[in-house]
Amino acid sequence: MSVSSHTTNATSTSSATSSRPDTAHSTGVADSGRWSTRRIAMYALFVALAMATSFVEFPIIPGIQWLKYDPSGIVALIAGFAFGPAAAAIVSVLGFVPHLFMDPWGTLMAVLVALFLSVPAAVIYRKNRTRNGAIIGLIVGAVCALAIAIVGNLIVTPIYAHMTVAQVAALIVPALLPFNLLKFAIHGVVTFLIYKPITTLLDK
Amino acid sequence: MTEPTASIAATLTGIRFSYDGGEHWALDGVDLTVRTGEYVCLTGANGSGKSTLARLVAGLAAPDDGDVTLLGHHVFSLDVANDADAADAAADPADAARHAAGFGADPAEYRAARRSIGAVFQNPEDQLVTTVTADDVAFGPENLGLDRATIGARINESLDAVDMAAHRFDDPTRMSGGQQQRVAIADMLAMHPAMLVLDEPTAMLDPAARAEVMRILDELHARGTTIVHVTHHDDEVVRAGRVVRLQDGRIVEDVAVAPARDHVTTADDGRSDGHPSRNIAETATPPADARSTVAPEHRSTTDHAALPADVPAITVSHVTYRYPSSDAPAINDLSLTVTSGETIAIMGENGAGKSTLARLLCALDTPTSGSITVAGIPVAASSNGTARRPRTLDRRQRARLRRTVGFVMQHPERQLFADTVADDIAYGPRNQQLSENDVAARVTEAMRLLHIEHLADRSPFSLSGGQQRLVAIAGVIACRPRVLVMDEPTASLDDVATARIHDLIRTLRSQGVTVLIITHSPAEAQEVADRVVMLGGGDATATVPTTPPSGVAGSSASSQPRATRNSSYIARLDPRVKMVTFLAMMFTAFAIATPAQLALGAALVAGIVAASRIRPLRLLASVHMFLAMFVVMGLLNIFFVRSGDVLVRLGPIPVTDDGITIAVLYALRFALVIILGAVMLETTTPTALTDGFGSLLSPLARLGVHTQEIALVMSLALRFLPTLGTEAKAIADAQAARGGSIETGSPAARLRAMTALCVPMFAGAIRHADNLSLALDARCYEEGIRRTHWHELRVRPSDLAFAALAVVYIVALIALPLVVG
Repeated sequence: MSVSSHTTNATSTSSATSSRPDTAHSTGVADSGRWSTRRIAMYALFVALAMATSFVEFPIIPGIQWLKYDPSGIVALIAGFAFGPAAAAIVSVLGFVPHLFMDPWGTLMAVLVALFLSVPAAVIYRKNRTRNGAIIGLIVGAVCALAIAIVGNLIVTPIYAHMTVAQVAALIVPALLPFNLLKFAIHGVVTFLIYKPITTLLDK
Repeated sequence: MTEPTASIAATLTGIRFSYDGGEHWALDGVDLTVRTGEYVCLTGANGSGKSTLARLVAGLAAPDDGDVTLLGHHVFSLDVANDADAADAAADPADAARHAAGFGADPAEYRAARRSIGAVFQNPEDQLVTTVTADDVAFGPENLGLDRATIGARINESLDAVDMAAHRFDDPTRMSGGQQQRVAIADMLAMHPAMLVLDEPTAMLDPAARAEVMRILDELHARGTTIVHVTHHDDEVVRAGRVVRLQDGRIVEDVAVAPARDHVTTADDGRSDGHPSRNIAETATPPADARSTVAPEHRSTTDHAALPADVPAITVSHVTYRYPSSDAPAINDLSLTVTSGETIAIMGENGAGKSTLARLLCALDTPTSGSITVAGIPVAASSNGTARRPRTLDRRQRARLRRTVGFVMQHPERQLFADTVADDIAYGPRNQQLSENDVAARVTEAMRLLHIEHLADRSPFSLSGGQQRLVAIAGVIACRPRVLVMDEPTASLDDVATARIHDLIRTLRSQGVTVLIITHSPAEAQEVADRVVMLGGGDATATVPTTPPSGVAGSSASSQPRATRNSSYIARLDPRVKMVTFLAMMFTAFAIATPAQLALGAALVAGIVAASRIRPLRLLASVHMFLAMFVVMGLLNIFFVRSGDVLVRLGPIPVTDDGITIAVLYALRFALVIILGAVMLETTTPTALTDGFGSLLSPLARLGVHTQEIALVMSLALRFLPTLGTEAKAIADAQAARGGSIETGSPAARLRAMTALCVPMFAGAIRHADNLSLALDARCYEEGIRRTHWHELRVRPSDLAFAALAVVYIVALIALPLVVG
């Protein structure tokens, strides 16, 4: 049939071989499989949530006004824990698309930081789905993201402000390091606290 | 089966369905036959299984056991009962399935049947996939792979059928609920369904909007569409030709009502038990002894210290409120006094300012003019005759107001966040810094008042919608408000839950609490209120004694049709060309380093703005957000540039003329970037953006990337972004009304406040996603499906000309310093 043609057709083949499709109450049409309608809808709403929260920006360290905290990283982390590394990557990338048309270079950097935070965390948590796995994932993710945030700032800040790389490098210890450490700490603690009620909802 | 299959729309036999692996049966032994052209209502209490049955009839889910044929397609067959170990097997459907006779669900048959079944759901907004009405209607036919001309014709005919043709270019997400539901019906009609299944399509609508939707359904039925309609409204039930009532997963009544227009005889239905249909109206009314459940001991709770009787609890004096984005005031010169201990009902059409009034009373908004006093607290005090905004509360007064006034918003269940019901209810009392003993006492009292003690240790997310509503209200009651404002607390609840809320209001009244309840239901106002205040037309209107108001006509919140869409040169560009060129121009704008380059860039941007025919003021509004950022960036530049002549010294930092030049240059080039971005977003519909995005990504499909799905995710995300933004604000307001604050308090309290915001936001996103996935199923979207596109993407000469212009500009921008320098 031409209904489901050119890409994978795992849904219908798997259900044809067993007496029931893979999920209870599945009709085997589009409600199961890798890109089920539910999964598309979940990804879409998580991306929307990441977009919405990425506009909530506020400084968290007094005196360092140009570095702003936004909670969108939490959404990418939760998406990664709930649906895996691919979801983390999709939320990290698509969640910043609206910013691309306002702040192109800054957006590229924000996407990289979100990717390096959420994807390693999701990979580790997928292999070890325990509280410890979550904690290790959050810490490893934070370390990767911290590295990329500092390198990114060295490259991007001179585009916005008339500063040399050396001048930006001088800001690492007084500004970039404490800001990013605090940012990832908030991300991690909040993710850790809210993940349980959210899985209850997802499993419903 | 004595009738030919051609006249049968759906046959379900021996249906069993369980959500929890066989512990409880949502449907248990249901048989139902729907004939072609029939209008069937499925009715019953919350949790009776009517929605589950509708989902099976719509082909959106498969049962655990039974046999289903939809529109001649034998989609499901599984006969667990025939198995020798049927009794044991029933406890574990998955295991039973392996032994049972039958083929289970047949995806190919389901797919074929579903193409001719339309499904409309309760929440109008979650069924919309994009922000232009015509594009939204096109989505289903695109999934069916129809050609462009057919899609165009289908859009016209289906928008005509629901009287929405004038709104084809409008944004459906900004329409009234009734209009949205009509668009949702048009979405289905465009796929030419033989059968339409509607699950409480009017549950979230006001009476006027309900009437619109019901009229459309009558017309569709008259044209021969089979209709299966789930509802618990008695006045909707009587419109059907046949009524099927469910109770605890079984059909307990199946009767023909035979209204004049019904052209299919149902009197010979074997399953009809012959009860007269009038039973339905009787059994739907709440038990007469409902009120006896008010325990008398609550009346002795005297620490709800009532205000002295001669003190008015609420005084609203000449209040006007105008939304920042609107010219017409939502509330115009309203004056109102509520005596302490009184219960009043606020009624009026959608858009009459009822919810706005509630927000003003709770200090969540400030009136444009006028003054408000609640329980002696000056919520808004008009500054003697001046045009200035009324003065608002300081932090201490605000905290006192939070302790005094309780606010139950619309759909308060959307604010639930904690691990257990008891913890959620305790949030407000804890924010008042009470001792844990006092908190526990408050929680117990609130749960007793709403009869939900047995739910204390459950997760609020595992409860039914009605139970969640009661828990959320208990969370407000636990703060022991002396004034309680409730915005449509019983909307879309069944009779039992509604009766409990009415009990609560009467109990609170006996304790001297002042209650203000917003309602659309004259019966509710009559039952609980001492008097009714009608709001309407933005004007304060007369207070009337408790009598039902005259019929509510015309939904005033309906949006007016927009004449045309923007069809400027820029708007007509191919979205792929537009995206690539705009992004190239934006990225390269950061190379601007001399005044000559800036002039070139400014000239190009001015030309593009002119060619896009956007009002410059509108663009200014989008740049406005970034002004603060420019200032910070500018200061940074001024401080870091040390070359040039020193103009001023601020302490150790020299400010040079070069510094100022660079600050201005950097700010202006960034402004150009933002203007380009704003023009791009203003002139491109989300559909075009997504089509272009998908097309640009499509080469990646060869690498196994699901580009079509990623483009759809992007499109749906943009569509739901404003929805989530509005909800986030509502959640923040509701938790603030319970005394939560991220800005103040200990780190632990701040973290709790953050959790109380984050969890409901995720819960909202998940709720929308669940509804949306059903809507995508109903529109036959499937992974990897061959879709057609109503909007053809084609690169025309004008697109090539624009791309050439962009290339010339970028080359010039880079060459300029070499030539001039």
